[in-house]
Amino acid sequence: MATIIIDGQSIDCTDNVTVLQAALEAGWDVPHYCYHPGLSVVASCRLCLMELKLPHPKTKEMGWAPRLFPSCQTPVKDGLEVRFDSEKITENRRHCMEYYLLNHPLDCPVCDQAGECYLQDYSRKFGDSSSRMVEVKNKNPKKDIGSKTLLYQDRCVMCSRCVRFCDEVAGTSELCIVDRGSKSEIDIFPGIPLENELQGNVVDICPVGSLLDKDFLMDQRVWSLKRAKSVCPGCSAGCTIHVDHNAGQVWRLKPRFNPGVNDWWMCDEGRFGWKHVHDPKRLNRLMVRRGAETESPDWSVLPELARFRFERAASDAGTDKIGALLSPFMSCEEAWLLVRFIRGVAPESVLAMGPVPTDGEDRTFPKGSNGSTPKFTIRAEKCPNRRGIEMVLKGAGGRVISFDAFVKLAADGALAAAWIAGGYPNDWVTKPLGSAAVKVGDLFAQDMFENAVTEAAAVVVPSCSWAERSGCFVNHQGRVQPFESAIAPLDGCQRDGQFLYALAEETGLYDAAGVRAKMAATMPAFGELHVAPEEPRFAH
Amino acid sequence: MDSDQVEQRPARDWKATDVICVDQPELTTAERLYLPQVFGGLATTFRHMFKKRVREQTVVQYPEQKREMRKEIYRGVHRLNRDEQGRVACVACFMCETACPAHCIHIEGALSPWEDREKYPIKFDIDELRCIYCGMCEEACPVDAIELTPEYHLVGSTRDEMIYDREKLLMVYDRTKEDKPRKGPAVTGY
Repeated sequence: MATIIIDGQSIDCTDNVTVLQAALEAGWDVPHYCYHPGLSVVASCRLCLMELKLPHPKTKEMGWAPRLFPSCQTPVKDGLEVRFDSEKITENRRHCMEYYLLNHPLDCPVCDQAGECYLQDYSRKFGDSSSRMVEVKNKNPKKDIGSKTLLYQDRCVMCSRCVRFCDEVAGTSELCIVDRGSKSEIDIFPGIPLENELQGNVVDICPVGSLLDKDFLMDQRVWSLKRAKSVCPGCSAGCTIHVDHNAGQVWRLKPRFNPGVNDWWMCDEGRFGWKHVHDPKRLNRLMVRRGAETESPDWSVLPELARFRFERAASDAGTDKIGALLSPFMSCEEAWLLVRFIRGVAPESVLAMGPVPTDGEDRTFPKGSNGSTPKFTIRAEKCPNRRGIEMVLKGAGGRVISFDAFVKLAADGALAAAWIAGGYPNDWVTKPLGSAAVKVGDLFAQDMFENAVTEAAAVVVPSCSWAERSGCFVNHQGRVQPFESAIAPLDGCQRDGQFLYALAEETGLYDAAGVRAKMAATMPAFGELHVAPEEPRFAH
Repeated sequence: MDSDQVEQRPARDWKATDVICVDQPELTTAERLYLPQVFGGLATTFRHMFKKRVREQTVVQYPEQKREMRKEIYRGVHRLNRDEQGRVACVACFMCETACPAHCIHIEGALSPWEDREKYPIKFDIDELRCIYCGMCEEACPVDAIELTPEYHLVGSTRDEMIYDREKLLMVYDRTKEDKPRKGPAVTGY
């Protein structure tokens, strides 16, 4: 613990942080471009400079040193006295901003960064309202540096965050700075485009509109987007994210700071993996098959219908002939509600979890750093909630079997009624499951897309994507992380939590926190949520 | 009085003297008939009817006659201006959509097919029924691409017809550019 004095106020801060970090955490708005807590320090932007009290070389009297020091590079030391509120600092910031804007094209109206741009923010707060530049501005055309990223060089402030990210976190070093001085620019090596699996992050850490996402290019202005705190469903890492949405549509995903899980980053697979949310092929009506005919009744009949069918099967064939297959894409609350319904109807019923999709091995970053602790890992397990479903199944007790055993049971015709939950973004139904599904007496299929199981089902219940649902996922470390719904469910759909809430004989609106509180009574792990801490207000 | 004192003032006790009762005035017989007032009103009407100068100034025989108006400031139907090369001048910056208090503008932007321009609107819809003709869009536009014209005879037989798309708004420009030329050149080329 160290105590330092900033602008005459004493601040308690932990050791091993820099003055900039301490100031940001204490709520100071210290402008900075090149400093990023997840990257090495280069102290090149000169915006975070501060005045420092040092002993006079001759008289040893403490006084403000004539030169300015970069606060991002100065570690805190007990008793250190610095200031940001002097005229010298104000002037330095003003001059820096003037230089940054010398060749800036001022094309904010067509720049996607406008609204979340630190050139805009800092020139408004610390800069001048007009430029004294009378020469013709340097023009630098935009460069296509990779399949997902565009580089607008004339908007760049040369903070080198993107270069350091590729070097230090991705470990692929595709980006570099070419030329020197006022001619320096960011570029790729000839013939080697920016193609690493974390490249979306360079767009996030770019403090200006220089690096832009092709996927989001010119789609929306950022001030019209609303943010929902969510968790990425792409793999078991459980990266916390923001879902940026507007008018019922998801536009982009952005990582949300979560130390120990994803820090500041997320992978491209997760970042661009939301397209299934707006797939026109999604199921959007409740379907009840009677012989060759299909009806689409109102949602209000579902609880009664399901209860009637399952109770009939239980009394006709025995309560051990009932089963439910939970999906690792369900939230813990939804899984628990479904288990409560099935076990309520048939206490002997059999429970299992659907297939856990995997893709090769875990991929660690930086690439090529063997042995050291990875800075980011893309998990091979491509579902968000395997551990959560396992916890729910363990809490349920009774007959819990493996997926293969469940398929065998179904293939043997030993299931008079079953509820199979899907919700995978791709076609997940294995061939054995597809052929076994036909042999289930009364099959309820809860899924997002048509597949062999929904074909065979007596009742098809359309499922919502994670962006429309709320609940919690348990990541590979066992952290229970809540996510909130971003957009309204697709027309004709109901939130999974809502119809499962009604099935479990609850009345009113589904409320994830309320369900979680009930779950915590038997499974205390769900009582402790892992909520990511907020970053300091002025940090970026 | 100090603001603190205002806040601390106790609830007022009303006294009987604080209430003033006003009785309805007694009407005379002439007043109760109402006829003198009716004729008084009619007299004003007839006086104006036979004043030739006033009649010619105030009565407009629309649609044979149309009123003279100040074309530079009248806020009628919108138009989307064209640039020097005849392309849509809009850069799809969404400023008008953001400024619009009635939320009647809907834009979709895209990368422009032209070398010298970055962004352009592939869709630009204005719901003329929802619009309140406040002119905020015109003020917000950084390239003076959207303008309100002196055209006020805005008709349509369905609601859909009243949603003006990009082509229709450009047509309004072609129709009105003689009447109200485009303002000075755009501030910056984007």
